[in-house]
Amino acid sequence: MSTPAREAGSGANPIIRAEGLWRTYQMGAEEIHALRGVSFTIDKGEYVAVMGPSGSGKSTLMNLIGCLDTPTSGTYVLRGKVVSEMNDDELAAVRNREIGFVFQTFNLLPRATALHNVELPLVYAGMAKERRIGQAKAALEMVDLTDRMNHRPNELSGGQRQRVAIARALVMSPSILLADEPTGNLDSATGEELMRLFGRLHGQGHTIILVTHERDIADHALRTIRLRDGQIESDVRKGG
Amino acid sequence: MPFSEAIAIALQSLRAHKLRSFLTVLGILIGVSSVIAVVAITEGLDRYMSDKVLELGTRAFRVQQMPDIITSHEQWREMMKRKRVTMDDVGAVRRACSLCSDIGALIATGGSVKRGRTLQKNVRIMGITENVSRIGAIRELEAGRHLVPQDIEQDRMVAVVGTDLVDAFFGSMEPIGKEIDVDGHFLRVVGVAEKKGSVFGESQDNFVWMPITTFQKLYGVRRSVDIQAEARTMADFEAAQDQARVAMRARRHLTYDKPDDFTIETGESIMDLWQSATRGIYVVTIVVTAISLLIGGIVVMNIMLVSVAERIQEIGIRKAMGARRGDILRQFLVESVVLSGFGGLLGVIGAAALSFLLAAVLGNIMATPFTAPVRPWAVALALSVSSAVGLVAGLYPANRAAALDPVVALRNE
Repeated sequence: MSTPAREAGSGANPIIRAEGLWRTYQMGAEEIHALRGVSFTIDKGEYVAVMGPSGSGKSTLMNLIGCLDTPTSGTYVLRGKVVSEMNDDELAAVRNREIGFVFQTFNLLPRATALHNVELPLVYAGMAKERRIGQAKAALEMVDLTDRMNHRPNELSGGQRQRVAIARALVMSPSILLADEPTGNLDSATGEELMRLFGRLHGQGHTIILVTHERDIADHALRTIRLRDGQIESDVRKGG
Repeated sequence: MPFSEAIAIALQSLRAHKLRSFLTVLGILIGVSSVIAVVAITEGLDRYMSDKVLELGTRAFRVQQMPDIITSHEQWREMMKRKRVTMDDVGAVRRACSLCSDIGALIATGGSVKRGRTLQKNVRIMGITENVSRIGAIRELEAGRHLVPQDIEQDRMVAVVGTDLVDAFFGSMEPIGKEIDVDGHFLRVVGVAEKKGSVFGESQDNFVWMPITTFQKLYGVRRSVDIQAEARTMADFEAAQDQARVAMRARRHLTYDKPDDFTIETGESIMDLWQSATRGIYVVTIVVTAISLLIGGIVVMNIMLVSVAERIQEIGIRKAMGARRGDILRQFLVESVVLSGFGGLLGVIGAAALSFLLAAVLGNIMATPFTAPVRPWAVALALSVSSAVGLVAGLYPANRAAALDPVVALRNE
């Protein structure tokens, strides 16, 4: 695989390079273009918010960035790997190693403890049990939840659940942390607390991509990409 | 994903739906326990039969007019047309069978025996040569003496009786020297045969032995005689039977193209008959088991489809976390196999209980200790077959789970 060329005008270290992404869904006889030629690059250590009204294609873009889906056309390169040409199992491996997901609905396994939920990506990475537990505990420590690691999701508050999900997202040390409306199911105080955690993680050098429709949340990011009708409407960096 | 992880997930989901899992595997449980129990019971009966047949004596055979077991009315009518076996036939076989160590004769009928006002019904009344008690299964005496050649020569009015008659007539009194009324004829008891218990619920001690000559005097000579013979050694067993057969055929002037018009019974022929009956039972069991396993498999497949449908979001989460198709496939296949294997395990436990119970009931009916051993091979077979059912039944649901699109699965609420 070739190393992607550095984009003119972007930072020194591109982690994502998207060129002319199209995603077309077939709805009966009709073709729906959720994305119409989206191109951008994201550098290592960036804190990006993807914004847009519903139907703008931001969920579709999130699925592509998260390697849950592949574009109909265009190229998506993640850390030098051409994701847009991968098969299912290769995508699974990339999701496992490169992407840390944080979902609006937390998406924890209800019957598993916090610790086991955090272990999950390590299980699919084929890590031995002892190492797995050690690493999962370390991740829970990063989100201050060591005392809750043997609780099941229904025994945790919403904020705690989302912190478990963040620990799970961080446990494999992924290239990007991909958060989809992470505060959508939280009250505003807890939401603010969570955003401070994201700020701290960004400070530690994590690359964060935030998909949201809330301006308050997007304001925490240092760069905002706005989508409308499947195209980039604006791409603005704070203070520069 | 390591295998142990898949098993842990499977056990967890089993525990989460205890009743559902139990109901799901009911078909497999019934199939497995019926096959193990039937195998155990038939094997117990086999052992019981061969014990009893061994008691008849392995080197002993009988030449008689009719086979022991007649399976149809037509056969019975055919058999009735055969010539009776006579005392002259006994003499001929005795002369011809050089490989026989002993040859005796027996005639039997059923009747009542009385003493005073006490009546004993359904007594096997037999006329025998003095050596019959030594041919095949040896019958010892509890008291008194056996019949002796003089009893036969002089057709004495004497009898050796089974313990059932002693119990009925004499209680704790001394039976030797007393008279009993056999169908209106008075016989003096000279000996009491040892107790044998019962076979298939039929007492072996409800009989009277009298000299065969006395029997023919009292009941006439029209009854067919059973020739009781014993080969010298096990190696001569077949040859001794052939000598007897040739002698009988010669007496009846049978040409080579005619079949025997008499029957030679051995312990083996009884065992053969028994085993062909057992084979029938096995075939029926296998069919019943196959049907219940098929239904069990369909139920497992159905519940696995439900399980997959319930856990679409979980599948989505796992895929987002990096689970490959194979990981998901394996997870649900293992779950299906564990579920069915659990049914098989319950079936084994059920079978053990069932055969224990049946053995107790049968033992009670037959008034002998009876065991129905649960064989390790039957258990291993049952477990592997039920796991195989799980594997096959899980294939389609697991494949559906593995093929789910992560985007669609995650959106599922």
